[in-house]
Amino acid sequence: MSRELLTGNGAAAWGARLARADYVPAFPITPQTEIIETLGQWIDAGDMPGRMVTLESEHSVLTAAGAAAATGVRVFTATSSQGLLYAMEMLYTVAGWRVPFVLVNVSRGLAAPVTLESDHNDIMAARDSGFLQIHCATCQEVLDGVLMAYRLAEDERVRLPAIVNLDGFYLSFTREPVDIPDPAAVDRFLPGFDPENLAFRASQPISQAVAVLGGSPYSYFRYETHLAALNALHTYADIAQDFAAEFGRSYEAVENYHADDADIVFVMLGSFATKARDAVDRLRASGERVGLLRPRVYRPFPADDMRRLLAGKRAAIVVDQNLSVGKGGVLHAELASVLYGIPKAPAALLSFVGGLGGRDISAEEFFEMVTVARQAIADGVTPPPRLLYTEDELRELRKLQAVAEVERRELGGKR
Amino acid sequence: MYRIRFHGRGGQGMKTASRILGSAFFRAGYEVQDAPRYGAERRGAPIFAYVRAAREPINERGVIAEPDLVIVADESLVGIAAAGVCQGLSERSVLLINSHEDVATWTHRLNLAGPVLVLPAREAVADRAELPFAGTACAGAAAVLVGVIPRDGLEAAVREELGSLPQQVIDQNVAVALHAYDEMRDHAGLVREAPTRSAKDYEPPAWLEPVFEDARHSAPAIHAAATSVQVRTGLWRTLRPVIDYDRCNKCWWVCSTFCPDSCISVTDDGVPEIDYDHCKGCMICVAKCPPHAIGAIPETDARDAALTGEPS
Amino acid sequence: MKESVLKRMKDLPSSHLLGAGTPMCAGCGGLEALHEIYDQVGAKSVFVNAAGCMTLLATYPFTPFRGSWLYTAMASAPAGAQGVRDALDILIDSGRLPPDEDLATVVLTGDGAAYGMGLSATSGAIERGLDFLYICYDNEGYANTGQQASAATPHGAQTSTTTLGYAGYKKDLFGIWAAHRPTYVATVIGAEPLDLARKVQKAMSLAGPRLILALAPCPTGWDFDPQYTADVGRLAVQTGIWPLKEYVGGEVVHTKAPKQRLPVEEYLRLQGRYAHLFEAGGQAGLIDEIQARVDAYWDGVER
Repeated sequence: MSRELLTGNGAAAWGARLARADYVPAFPITPQTEIIETLGQWIDAGDMPGRMVTLESEHSVLTAAGAAAATGVRVFTATSSQGLLYAMEMLYTVAGWRVPFVLVNVSRGLAAPVTLESDHNDIMAARDSGFLQIHCATCQEVLDGVLMAYRLAEDERVRLPAIVNLDGFYLSFTREPVDIPDPAAVDRFLPGFDPENLAFRASQPISQAVAVLGGSPYSYFRYETHLAALNALHTYADIAQDFAAEFGRSYEAVENYHADDADIVFVMLGSFATKARDAVDRLRASGERVGLLRPRVYRPFPADDMRRLLAGKRAAIVVDQNLSVGKGGVLHAELASVLYGIPKAPAALLSFVGGLGGRDISAEEFFEMVTVARQAIADGVTPPPRLLYTEDELRELRKLQAVAEVERRELGGKR
Repeated sequence: MYRIRFHGRGGQGMKTASRILGSAFFRAGYEVQDAPRYGAERRGAPIFAYVRAAREPINERGVIAEPDLVIVADESLVGIAAAGVCQGLSERSVLLINSHEDVATWTHRLNLAGPVLVLPAREAVADRAELPFAGTACAGAAAVLVGVIPRDGLEAAVREELGSLPQQVIDQNVAVALHAYDEMRDHAGLVREAPTRSAKDYEPPAWLEPVFEDARHSAPAIHAAATSVQVRTGLWRTLRPVIDYDRCNKCWWVCSTFCPDSCISVTDDGVPEIDYDHCKGCMICVAKCPPHAIGAIPETDARDAALTGEPS
Repeated sequence: MKESVLKRMKDLPSSHLLGAGTPMCAGCGGLEALHEIYDQVGAKSVFVNAAGCMTLLATYPFTPFRGSWLYTAMASAPAGAQGVRDALDILIDSGRLPPDEDLATVVLTGDGAAYGMGLSATSGAIERGLDFLYICYDNEGYANTGQQASAATPHGAQTSTTTLGYAGYKKDLFGIWAAHRPTYVATVIGAEPLDLARKVQKAMSLAGPRLILALAPCPTGWDFDPQYTADVGRLAVQTGIWPLKEYVGGEVVHTKAPKQRLPVEEYLRLQGRYAHLFEAGGQAGLIDEIQARVDAYWDGVER
């Protein structure tokens, strides 16, 4: 084992290397490129025995990934944002094939307008596909998450593809100290791929991914996929235990940061949750009983854990780094659905949407969210969802708009 | 926690500087976060990178708003507001400028509340985008200013981060980093970790709820032509093309045709004129001018005063 | 490349590998071609399929294939073939699979995917030198959804989206493939089984990207009685509308040039999709235009 400074992208590449991925179909997209560049360099240098092929699109990448997994090799790939959406048809398709492999998504906001920076709308779009989802908050988690994702995806109780998600820029280009585990220890934790009955062989004809006629067989196959995803919850718990035993790092499905004795709890995904940790530390130092819950496993949704951990809290503050247009924050809606009707559900379930397109969330904003939550508790009224957006930001935007609309004004157009 | 920002131009090694300092902290037993800040800008454009270092795991993320130390590799950036060099400086932040001028000059010019230091710049170079060893020197200076990084730790960090380069180049960089380290030794430990700010008495964010505006205004569309001229890409330029009109033979405006940035206009008399507000300093005009009437001079020489920051 | 041992029709197999019981239309010209092709490809193959009529060939739990099958999506069957081929190579190279377990990787798509949505994935696979056979059954429209016009629809043909006749011109997929300089490209038709079998045999003896482009007379979409599928196919060749040719080693060779081309009218008249060309006061000029284009093509070949 060695401890080194790695970017999130570097950690993802190490995960693939240590997992002994056989095959890496790839297509470059910012901010994912460093992952496939690193793997390509290792493969070229003979440091990693896999094979990499660059395809013409992410749609093709996912097809090749699924097809190779269906042939019985261990597959790794990575994409981001527009690429994930370009591949979306195949995400649903290969999940239905019941082939296990790992896809790293480097989260980036979706067009339009085009941006390079991070938010979670891309990964949320894959929410219902059948891919399992592990969301990472640190570079270490990215490496560890890839290893755990293989175990989870390949487990016979599950056998579904898995996405390991990390935030663009905030993790992808940021170096942090990362323990790179000993390959022998990884081999103990993650043995070679057993493809079970996934194969194309001359001696064993097989027709995979075939059509069905009628809703009845369709319902069966699709619901089996759902049950497999649900199985991934207790399977994950077992794997996390094995991981902790082997590597000394434990990753529960939901990170619990001082939530046990808290009366107000932040609920967040991804690397921005570490900002919430920082805010929790500082709020606690000034006497506030505040905590953080971070679903690390997002698909399957850890519903029971969230119910248990939030029972008896006075307020939950959900910070969504995504926006379901015409509805609001996705995590907020999902949490509401699992909390509805349970005894001792938090009286106030607040929704904040922040960090869209890489927009930072300041410590003061976390403090203010707690102030708002306290007020909601006192009033017994939950405020409407709020976008984290300030007067200064609007003022800056107005300056840009003035440039963008100058010609019309000169033509005497109405504003 | 230490919070340190490096400012320079694309090509001057700011990412390397942040990585060397990050590695040096890490070797000294610190938890570290280092990252470059990429934008759409390219070589010569102002960029920055940052490092956080602490004894405990770092939860803070993203751009450093309140730095303990800001290091400027290229003094010509200090006066450019868009480079954001002075952003978030307080009375306890240290500003270190890699410069030919002395501390008194900078102190007088900037009138900052906090300490200003100068890392004496090495030999003058024509093209500042290729400022040799700027990143390494800045990392070396930063390493001594924080006071917790030993000299040999710095050397090891340089060797680690530049490991893929030829041995001779690595050795040169090590020498530069150690020289800067030694040069700033008098100020060892001047940079202090900022105390954690309390959640009490915070300044509440001035949130506002965006209101509906119709799609004619709220869609990302530019209802105007060639607004990009408002972007002063002349700030990227480290070398300036200068036309010797005595030698210009008023050809078929070769310079104007090949300039990718539409920065050379030709008068009705066939005389080319360079738009220095936008010229990025690529020097294609210098390379292609048939009578060799366009020469290149260092941008710093061309500016009356670096501090005005405006390309003439 | 080995020379074909197929000298005459009697050298063709009289029993067939592809199983009966598929949901394809009665008289399907695509299935006619496919079953002839499959006899030459053999069961040591994996067919990677794109959305089209033949998606339903394997409908749970029924498959006509004695070998293997993988359904992908409309746009990306060649990428699926890439994944299978690479995975088989990895398994064999690393000793995890005995070489005799290897399979031929075959893409099977209709013209909708081959000429349009899947062209990018096809171009990529050829450019990467993927070792695969690509079979396109070209029924000149999105037949599975009711014969809407595709990029393979010929000029003047009625489809359910071009009721006045298709204004565009059929894309030259053979030429597009040949421009990539792949190993092998051939046009075939089920109605010329000996020519088809020889070409598939030749393709199977080669490595690299190979296309078998089969015109697939479609009784449903082209509106003719299913009993005439083979006749329509023969006429497509005899009128010169469907030139049987192959590209190999940079050369294009016509394998069955009609000595005396029949008038295109004889091919068009059999099909309801061209009925408007024959109506009184109809678009008679179009028949002349179609004839002129065919003549110009063969003039170019014969020169």
